[in-house]
Amino acid sequence: MNDRFAPAEALPAAPVAEDDLVLDPRGRLALYLAVGLAAGAVIALQIDVMRVFAVGSWSHFGSFVVSLAMLGFGLTSAVMCVAKTWFQRHWLGAASVALALFGPLAVAANLYVQKLGFNAIFLVSDPAQKWRLLQIFVAELTPFLAGAVFLGCVFLKSNRIFGRVYFADLAGAGLCGLVFLGAMYLFRPENLIAAPLALWLAAMIAWAFGPGGLRALAPFAVLAALAFGGHFVAAPALGLSRLAVNDYKGVAYARKFPDSKRIYESVSPFGYIEAYSSSYLHFAPGLSDNAAFNMPAVPANAYIAMYVDSDGPIGVIRNLPDKDTAYFRFLPMYYPYVIKKDPKVFITQFGGGISTAVALRSGAKEVTVAEGNRAVLEAFHSKVFKDFTGDILGRVNKVIDYEGRHYLAHTQERYDVIDLSLADSTGLSNPGGFAIVEKFSYTREAMETYMRALAAGGVLAVTLWNKEEPPKSVLRLYATMAAAAEDVDSAHIADSFFVASSYLSTATVLYKRGGFAEDEIAKLRDHTKAMSFDEIYSPGFFYDGTQTDRTLDGYVEQIFAGAAGGPPTAAPAAEAGPGEPSAQADPAGPADPTGPGDEPGANGDTGVVPATIMGRLAWASLINGEWPKIAQRYVFDTRILTNDHPYFAAYVKTKDLPRVLDRLELLQDEWGYLLIWATLGVACLTACVLLAFPVIWGWRAVFSQTPGKFLTIIYFACLGAGYIMVEVGLIAHFVMALGNATVSASVLITGMLVFSGLGSLTSERILPKMRLAMPPIFLAIGALLILYALFLDNALDAIGALPYGARLLLSFVFIAPPAFLMGFPMPTAMTTLGRLGKDHMFIWAWGVNGCFSVIGAAAAPVIATNFGLGAVIEIAGLAYLLALPAFFGVISSGRKPRFA
Amino acid sequence: MQRRQFLAGSAGLLTAALAPRFALANVPTPFTFDMVPPTGSREEFVKWGVSQRGEDPKFLGERFDRYGALVRNEDLWEDRNKHAFLLTPREEFVLKQNLGRAYDHAFLDIGYGVTISGPHIVGRMTSTIDVKKGEKVLEIGTGSGYQSAYLSHLTYNVYTIEIIKPLAERTRSIYDALIERGYNEFKGITSKNADGYYGWEEAAPFDKIIVTCGIDHIPPPLLQQLKPNGVMVIPVGPPGAQRVLKVVKNQAEDGTITVARSDIYGGRIVSFVPFTKLEGDVIKGTHNE
Repeated sequence: MNDRFAPAEALPAAPVAEDDLVLDPRGRLALYLAVGLAAGAVIALQIDVMRVFAVGSWSHFGSFVVSLAMLGFGLTSAVMCVAKTWFQRHWLGAASVALALFGPLAVAANLYVQKLGFNAIFLVSDPAQKWRLLQIFVAELTPFLAGAVFLGCVFLKSNRIFGRVYFADLAGAGLCGLVFLGAMYLFRPENLIAAPLALWLAAMIAWAFGPGGLRALAPFAVLAALAFGGHFVAAPALGLSRLAVNDYKGVAYARKFPDSKRIYESVSPFGYIEAYSSSYLHFAPGLSDNAAFNMPAVPANAYIAMYVDSDGPIGVIRNLPDKDTAYFRFLPMYYPYVIKKDPKVFITQFGGGISTAVALRSGAKEVTVAEGNRAVLEAFHSKVFKDFTGDILGRVNKVIDYEGRHYLAHTQERYDVIDLSLADSTGLSNPGGFAIVEKFSYTREAMETYMRALAAGGVLAVTLWNKEEPPKSVLRLYATMAAAAEDVDSAHIADSFFVASSYLSTATVLYKRGGFAEDEIAKLRDHTKAMSFDEIYSPGFFYDGTQTDRTLDGYVEQIFAGAAGGPPTAAPAAEAGPGEPSAQADPAGPADPTGPGDEPGANGDTGVVPATIMGRLAWASLINGEWPKIAQRYVFDTRILTNDHPYFAAYVKTKDLPRVLDRLELLQDEWGYLLIWATLGVACLTACVLLAFPVIWGWRAVFSQTPGKFLTIIYFACLGAGYIMVEVGLIAHFVMALGNATVSASVLITGMLVFSGLGSLTSERILPKMRLAMPPIFLAIGALLILYALFLDNALDAIGALPYGARLLLSFVFIAPPAFLMGFPMPTAMTTLGRLGKDHMFIWAWGVNGCFSVIGAAAAPVIATNFGLGAVIEIAGLAYLLALPAFFGVISSGRKPRFA
Repeated sequence: MQRRQFLAGSAGLLTAALAPRFALANVPTPFTFDMVPPTGSREEFVKWGVSQRGEDPKFLGERFDRYGALVRNEDLWEDRNKHAFLLTPREEFVLKQNLGRAYDHAFLDIGYGVTISGPHIVGRMTSTIDVKKGEKVLEIGTGSGYQSAYLSHLTYNVYTIEIIKPLAERTRSIYDALIERGYNEFKGITSKNADGYYGWEEAAPFDKIIVTCGIDHIPPPLLQQLKPNGVMVIPVGPPGAQRVLKVVKNQAEDGTITVARSDIYGGRIVSFVPFTKLEGDVIKGTHNE
């Protein structure tokens, strides 16, 4: 999930007119440009840092680092609060120096961080990694501090023209987000820093033609040469890495193969795509073990490997002759063709093309493929891919260049087979943890769409990686598909599913509209047996209920043995000396199915691994309606995926979080989720420290004389958290329509900030009647956000099948109303505080705003994964409604203190 | 063991060990398959290790402590495997910067995006395949070399393949240097730099196979090169989030071959052990603390 994209706003000062900067119109224009460009450079650097982390190591650390670095604005606020007089006196020099240092610091911080060699997978076991992470945070903080000091100093002296400077700040940041989106078409990830540097250079020039004075041009030129030269000339000359790809990223392995050769590369907002050829690449996702004894050898050199942002591989299959495709029958995606002859097929996620190749070789009379990542399709249209794949896209009947679910929702076509199989990377590498990303293709609503798009007797086939023990994602898939079937055709649910899995490999769920016939079940069972896969469910399948307690309790014990509130550990550990093992670890468990001494047990599943039993238990209870009780007892959270909660992540139940802290190693695939909690904790802690600064420095006395202080703090806290939560929450929502997180983030940043900037500019007009005008604005914001939380999904679903340009345009249309109104509260309150002479409260309140925007950014993914994406927007809406009564505390003059 | 006893014993042994240390270019007593290290006490083992194997008492002590944890956790349950663990100098196979954590219950970085697995999982995997003397074992993914070094104390027929050339060369040079120092058991390891997907056709069939590289399916050539009723273990999933798959190739009387999958815990649900931190031979919390 994307994280912190805050407007680069900083500390304004009390608008005492005589302290204000006096400029002629040309100077004012230069000032606005400098502020807009500098704010844009800060936003661009945020996205750049996140891109560098996403490609080099782990995207969540990018969000983490940027979130904390943005506390630089809070830190600046606290420092300026304490040293206000000094900054008022030396503001021009401080602003010029801070602006000049932004670029060199950004370059130096990046080179330093790349040199550190941070390895997230050793974070728990290697103490040195924590120290490196701290160094990363401190290094990345420095350019943001410089940006914050520059903008803070400008605001300090811009009271009379504050509304316009604030507009320049927001609009500049927003538009520069769009500039960065364009830069992603031009630069490789390691050189994307060119975008913030160029914006920074432009900001310096504008500053020199305005308040900074032309004499600043020479030192600015020197520092610009230092920054650009440092990154583009010195770093490569000195052998310094500008983007060090972690050894544990997927692409790092491909690069090490002796005959590895990069045969394709493309840059775009849809990802940095590379493809490598090597004889060492082997793909056959979920291949049956029986293939080894029942078919000719799997062909050599059959694949190239595609990597998106260094993650992968996604196997791209060569156009194989018939004799080399015998192994297709041993792949799990072959399942629907066991019972469907000459089908009309729809592939919902093209990915590397394996499902498509299987469909083409399995007698499909018509194949339609959909792929939401336009860069992937572009790769397949390149000569190198066309040559290798025999132009696979040219061999299908139709290519849909957006998400399959949107196409199926709007077409009248009906299909005999709809496939959603292993389109994602195999996840063999892991530079830290798995990213928490929205998987809208797997939600209950998406499954319903697929089911409804089936022709009579058509089959939906969904295959997922099944590499977890205890099982997690497959249980969510099972529950989601059963829930969708309940909505589509509850009368036939028991007859409509056939499920098979391979232990620690894949799981396949087949749904047949109208239910399976007996002969079809027999064929599928025979195929399952022939493949040595495990049958998990079929119509009439018997599940032995005596295994339920043992399985559920066993999994709880597996994870929580010895933890607070958990079962005791099975064996003494601390005191006992070396000696013979006293007993089997779990004598009550089922026998080893591979052991020589299998004995018949009391139930039909003796000799079956617990994960398989758990799958059978899940399906039995999903069909008979007892799943909620079983899910409650299961060790992990198995909530279904919906458009509101589209996550294969956050499996640790919230109540269990304190109990897993001493066993993080067991949950490394959950580190992404645990990290968002850690980010929230660190953000809260750091924000508290920053907010306490002025109090420690003895400002309590000053504050005590300020009426409405408590409500002022509430007001700015609500605005800070509310604004950023809307931004982050909507970024995740809009992925559904735009299909890509980076594009969604750029559109949201630009839309939110530009429209809010316009709102800010307009707010000047309502100042005289703000007591009357602001309440309806707050109510409108709250109402709009709650409406968005409830109905935005439907709107985004509806536009999903439109041309991409139209989707972009409509996205801006959706963003505009709340964003415009959300531009009013901040400048209105700020100007009022200034007019009332609440200088120090004013300064501190901005610190509150900054700190709570960081907390809001960190809280948004936590809320989304626990309560849903809608809840993020709803809570933001409530924050704006709460800000309404607090507003009257802000504008309280003290003569009639109302609230504080 | 009492801390005081341990300190006193260690100090004595350290003194004894330091004097001959400069002269110990070679292992004093070459390995034989009937070599049995003492397991009665830490002091006894360290003393034996210094005198018979010429090894550093610090690492010998840490090895014995970890050995105790492995036995308690039921990762080692058979004498030959226990002895093999005690005879394998893990410290020789970790990077210099990780020497202090050589016997931690943690996987460690060895460069090239490869880790040396933690001692518990190596012990459990090796115990699971139950290698008998003379059996032919294939390892896919030599990595640090520790796994094959461990296996070489169980059989003299160890074959290992590493896909990353510089790593294969580095590990081979470690073996060669150790052989030079007198670890003659490592002569039983045959290594090569190749694509492990295809196994080692010339040396096949194998009684046991250990695969330590990531792949989205079990390579058919490996299943073909596994003897009937042979056992293969494969960690599944990325480093740090792995479960170890156990695969048994069963051949029925009529010649029909089937493959059974379970995990190395034999299909039982067992408690995972959080990464334990040892102080002396006593477990003191986890590495998170």
